[in-house]
Amino acid sequence: MAIHEKTLIDADRIQTSDNLVLDGVDVSGHWNTMVLPRYLTDYDTDFARQIRTFSGGENVHRCWQCGSCTNSCTVYAQNTDFNPRYWIYLTNLGLKNDILKDKDIIWTCVSCNRCTNICPKDVKPEGVMKALAHWLEEEGHTPETRSSIFDNEFLGQVYETGRIEDTRVLINFLRKTNQSITPPWLIELGKRMTKHLPLGFLTHMGLHLVFKPRTKSWGRTGEVLREYVREQKEIARKARAMPKEAVHV
Amino acid sequence: MQKTVLVVGAGPAGLAAAAGVAASGAQAVLVEKAAKLGGTPILSGYAKLVPSGEWARDAMGRMVKRVEDSKNVTIHKETKVTKLTGEAGNFTATLSNGKTVECASVILATGFTHFDSINKPEWGFGSFEDVVTTTQVEQMVAAGKVACPSDGRVPERVAILLCVGSRDRQIGREWCSKICCTVSTNLAMEIKELSPTTDVFIYYMDIRTFGLYEDRFYWKSQEEFKTKFVKARIAEVTRSPDGRLLVKGEDTLVKRPIVIPMDMVVHAVGMDPNEDNPEIARVFGIGLEKHGFIDRAEHYTNTCGTTRRGIYAVGAALAPETIDDSISQGTAAALRAVADLDALVQKSA
Repeated sequence: MAIHEKTLIDADRIQTSDNLVLDGVDVSGHWNTMVLPRYLTDYDTDFARQIRTFSGGENVHRCWQCGSCTNSCTVYAQNTDFNPRYWIYLTNLGLKNDILKDKDIIWTCVSCNRCTNICPKDVKPEGVMKALAHWLEEEGHTPETRSSIFDNEFLGQVYETGRIEDTRVLINFLRKTNQSITPPWLIELGKRMTKHLPLGFLTHMGLHLVFKPRTKSWGRTGEVLREYVREQKEIARKARAMPKEAVHV
Repeated sequence: MQKTVLVVGAGPAGLAAAAGVAASGAQAVLVEKAAKLGGTPILSGYAKLVPSGEWARDAMGRMVKRVEDSKNVTIHKETKVTKLTGEAGNFTATLSNGKTVECASVILATGFTHFDSINKPEWGFGSFEDVVTTTQVEQMVAAGKVACPSDGRVPERVAILLCVGSRDRQIGREWCSKICCTVSTNLAMEIKELSPTTDVFIYYMDIRTFGLYEDRFYWKSQEEFKTKFVKARIAEVTRSPDGRLLVKGEDTLVKRPIVIPMDMVVHAVGMDPNEDNPEIARVFGIGLEKHGFIDRAEHYTNTCGTTRRGIYAVGAALAPETIDDSISQGTAAALRAVADLDALVQKSA
């Protein structure tokens, strides 16, 4: 069955089945294609509040849709699907499904902050982009980002020893992100370094890699830090899951 | 030679006009068709006024008391002017209570009529109990409880539809009623104060909270009270099988049709010309402009003038108007009317 305007319809709204029986009538064949309606049937009235609990999203509800952010956007100039004004509107009405359609480009914000500088209502759109990206990641809609993997590796070493060892952070990061641990730029770095024969430094580094020394008097500091961060994350998660927004919150 | 000014209508504009005439030492005769003074804010049971935030009964109460306490003001309630003869400087008005008033000039502060939502049946007023008007919500706020009329439940969601009876060629209302945006953003805040968990959505074409109303009402409502603004002119209000209301329209910012459940739908009703304007025009021999409001004279040197010398008009009789500006116009017209008296006195001297 030809639907001539199929190109105008979102692919996920077109449903085709080989065999279809509706109300006892077999409509397989010519009439097997159904188009789901495109109207919006509800708002998630709690969604804007959730996004406000992420750093950068605090002012999202202030938006009045002037479009200054999108108009000034560096990324929009390259890709007109990148539309901060639109995502902010979807956020405020809680049209989550439509935000999810763009989950793979929201993170491409380059944080140039032109939007935040021009916004007449101080919405801080650049912050909203970050908040949305973090929400997408936390909810598992997007994979854990490389920056989160890096942060976790970095913090893990701090908890453990009260310091970081650059080489170990780098190698573990490359491993965890399924990258080669000998990328050309690293080889080049090593080559140039050995030219100067920094024997003391290399020995120092080698010993640190093997023995993982801790900062003096580190004691239980790492445990306390780890517990504090865990608590804060828990508080933030609970705040997000709060059932209903009250005024002035 | 008369030293009397006839003021018709005892709302904000008329009370200000009468007080102004009296304060200048002239006599004011105030004629009001209702049994109570105070005009629409009192007769329609408004809650807190914009922008003062003062309760209507307190603010209007002070205006009424000032006029009632004045020895220079004579008040006729439940009375209309049925006939006006003579000319500027020497009018004779016949009242429906049989009395006559000799006056030099007349100030018409005859106000407006709320748009009757029955004239937009597609928006559900009159069909569904939970579709109400801003006036009804004012009354709910004044009574201290916002509830769905159908079953008394506190609404989880309220939709306020702007431009009901305004900016609509289909029903011959080609004007902006000027104050509904501000009143609606204020009502959204009042609803949230009474019921903090209620979500309020304002469906708009434009937001026209002019002047200082911008941040004091629009921004505050959005930023502090989290009122949601949706750019859509609702096409139809219907009822879903579960008894809730459904607002249908197009959200022009996402370019998608919407069918959204609501518990209460509020019509932000506009200001129509006073339904008595044809009668007023006939009795006072003045013209109406094309929308049906009282026609103005040239404004720059004949402020508050109508098409007939010696007759002035103020407030929402002339066009949709705020309470504050109606009061200012009432005071301005008092000056015009009193200046007429003085000019006539000087001329005869």
